[in-house]
Amino acid sequence: MASSSDLENPNASSALPYSYTPLPDGEQTAEPAVVLHPKKAVAILVCAFLSVGFLVALIGNSGPLLPKNLNTNVAPSTVATPAKTTPLSRGVDKGVSEKAFRPKLGADNSFPWSSNMLDWQRTGFHFQPEKNWMNDPNGPVFYKGWYHLFYQYHPDAPVWGKIVWGHAVSKDLINWRHLPIAMETDEWYDEQGVWTGSATILPDGQLVVLYTGSTNESVQVQNLAYPADPNDPLLINWVKYPGNPVLVPPPGIDDKDFRDPTTAWKTPEGKWRITIGSKINKTGISLVYDTVDFKTFELLDGVLHAVPGTGMWECVDFYPISKQAENGLDTSVDGPGVKHIVKASMDDDRHDYYAIGTYDAYKGKWTPDNPTLDVGIGLRYDYGIYYASKTFYDQNKNRRVLWSWIKETDTEASDISKGWASLMGVPRTILLDKKTKSNIIQWPVEEITALRTDATVFKKLVLEAGALVPLNLPAASQLDIVAEFELDEATVQRLNGADVAYDCAQNGGAATRGALGPFGLSVLAHDGLVEHTPVYFYVAKAVDGSLKTFFCADQSRSSTATDVDKSIYGNIVPVLKGEKLSMRILVDHSIVESFAQEGRTCITSRVYPTKAIYNNARMFLFNNATAATVTASVNVWQMKSADI
Amino acid sequence: MESRNTNKMKISSPLTILFLLFLLQQTLLSAMADIQLIKNTCKGTPSPDLCLKILLAEPKSQNADLTGLALIGVDAVNNKGLEILKQIVDLKKSRPELRPALDQCAEVYHAVVEADVPSSRDALRGGMPKFAEDGMADSAVEAQVCERRFGEHGHASPMTGSNNVMHDAANVVRAIIRMLL
Repeated sequence: MASSSDLENPNASSALPYSYTPLPDGEQTAEPAVVLHPKKAVAILVCAFLSVGFLVALIGNSGPLLPKNLNTNVAPSTVATPAKTTPLSRGVDKGVSEKAFRPKLGADNSFPWSSNMLDWQRTGFHFQPEKNWMNDPNGPVFYKGWYHLFYQYHPDAPVWGKIVWGHAVSKDLINWRHLPIAMETDEWYDEQGVWTGSATILPDGQLVVLYTGSTNESVQVQNLAYPADPNDPLLINWVKYPGNPVLVPPPGIDDKDFRDPTTAWKTPEGKWRITIGSKINKTGISLVYDTVDFKTFELLDGVLHAVPGTGMWECVDFYPISKQAENGLDTSVDGPGVKHIVKASMDDDRHDYYAIGTYDAYKGKWTPDNPTLDVGIGLRYDYGIYYASKTFYDQNKNRRVLWSWIKETDTEASDISKGWASLMGVPRTILLDKKTKSNIIQWPVEEITALRTDATVFKKLVLEAGALVPLNLPAASQLDIVAEFELDEATVQRLNGADVAYDCAQNGGAATRGALGPFGLSVLAHDGLVEHTPVYFYVAKAVDGSLKTFFCADQSRSSTATDVDKSIYGNIVPVLKGEKLSMRILVDHSIVESFAQEGRTCITSRVYPTKAIYNNARMFLFNNATAATVTASVNVWQMKSADI
Repeated sequence: MESRNTNKMKISSPLTILFLLFLLQQTLLSAMADIQLIKNTCKGTPSPDLCLKILLAEPKSQNADLTGLALIGVDAVNNKGLEILKQIVDLKKSRPELRPALDQCAEVYHAVVEADVPSSRDALRGGMPKFAEDGMADSAVEAQVCERRFGEHGHASPMTGSNNVMHDAANVVRAIIRMLL
């Protein structure tokens, strides 16, 4: 162990060096001594008293000059001794406590990231550019037989910077062909970045794009762009409208709070309408503009919607969903059989929230069905790493498809070593949950199943309390897993309920045992469980006998590395009477996407094992409940790699 | 000699003196206001004293808005990172047995200086502060990663002071950036 004399005194004067320029000497007046006229003396004295008076008033009234909500959720600083340093994740979420991973010291655990380990992290079937940095998906659209995906791309380094629009096309949303950069920072109005935007297909088949440019003076403006050759199905070249920008921040809106225009939809008057997120103080809002030609716009009074305390709304999305049908709807569809979703990415906490509500097309306003589950305070698309998402109406297959940016949760140093950062989540279809009616369901697009190859089936395995069952699989880094679980009814009935709160993030993960959970699958696991990532259900029975089911993904033991995020994610999942508990998990190297109850609750995780990789990756079925027996059936498909 | 009263504009005339005093008062008021901004900003960070040290050391902080203060903070993180990289070079010579950990420290501090800092600067200037928050959050983690490497190799760290200052400074700057969100 280190002795304290070997450690530098943390309070020593290793202060930050700073460039020190002495303050200028107080200026002396050039005036030689002057004999003052008595009247002048009085005048000077009066001014002096006034000045002093002002200063006194200022000191007396000094109040905070900053907005009241200072979100400073920062990990406390630690006085470090080697055995006690606690790893911190990048981007601590509000209210989520850090999980400390105590490494076992010794030769076994000293490691740099080997290129073997880093190479493994690249996915087999998730969209990602060959190298460097990606963030928000942009302008997704189906056009002339091709699915297009544009994305925020930094070509120079695996970190955010001056952003351009990357571009790729696909026939099936799974296999991709990378194309040249669609738009660069070559105009004054997007010199600091070609930021996020959306595509609209007009009734005559024309395609237009509205996107945010960060100008040479860092003002956020909206610009119009369109294909140079509309007959080119690959849409390789783009033209920026010479009259750009078409929108600048309106009065009352800060230059830096005006971005991410949506796909346009038709108004009852036959105009086009878009919405753009912003904020006023700490109230997140969505501004509404009407246009006939995408060149001149009219700002509507008021906002589409606003929620106090939620901060800046980024990447707003607005779209209809059918109350009855099992298909998606074009963004312009409206009517009695339709609800509307407002979604926004919350800058403050880096999560995507949505709410179901009713749109008033005449007023240009939307109201949530349940104000307690309003935008920014209610449901999230995903309870893990999932941000800046955007949907599009896929007229090819009559569905609404959701794309999202999945960032890294390792260190920048690792990203530089491996040469890339960020993925897109697997595209998901969105539908209203017809059974609960109070949430959407998301499901990986059906095309993903074309990657399924060898299946391994486990039927009705009975797992006693405390069981841990290794599943014999040919490989375990690229999997599509569908599993069903049943708790034994007798125990559930017999058990006395307790009103104890459970929270995936706070309750210690899969190692914390309850009477009726946790149970599920542990993926990217190593023999002996030195590393593993459990995805599980935890059922809690209340005093009144009602059951609450939680769905969690636990990264706390996902890796022996100490420089990766070890959070536990998850949320309640609604389970209706008679439903079995079911989950689907896509394992694809360093990303795990988990879906409960056909997509009612979704969790995306980034996982960076050092041992549970390549041939050493395993999967386990477990029942860590203390009381109940669980019967599980699992179908595991190996997944081929896609062209990504 | 001309009588003083016939001169049109003289430093000693009452209007001029009034004007100069008014200017002095305004300068004092505005300087007080900016120091107040710095003080209030630092109160919202995990290490207010360190925050004040960083910001007050740079005279431009007196006239800076919140974004400007954040940029001054990022500069301080950058300077500290560069200083630490030099420290690592020296330690490799004086403590060759620590090379493996020192190499890993160099790697993580290069990430701070070459990726996190430029990205944070671009983000602050460009009006997308959340990426600057990510850059500073990562810098704080990298400092902890370096510190931990010594223990993982079975040694005491010779860089605890530096790593702590980097960690704390990066978290201070992160807190300032969060005020911009």
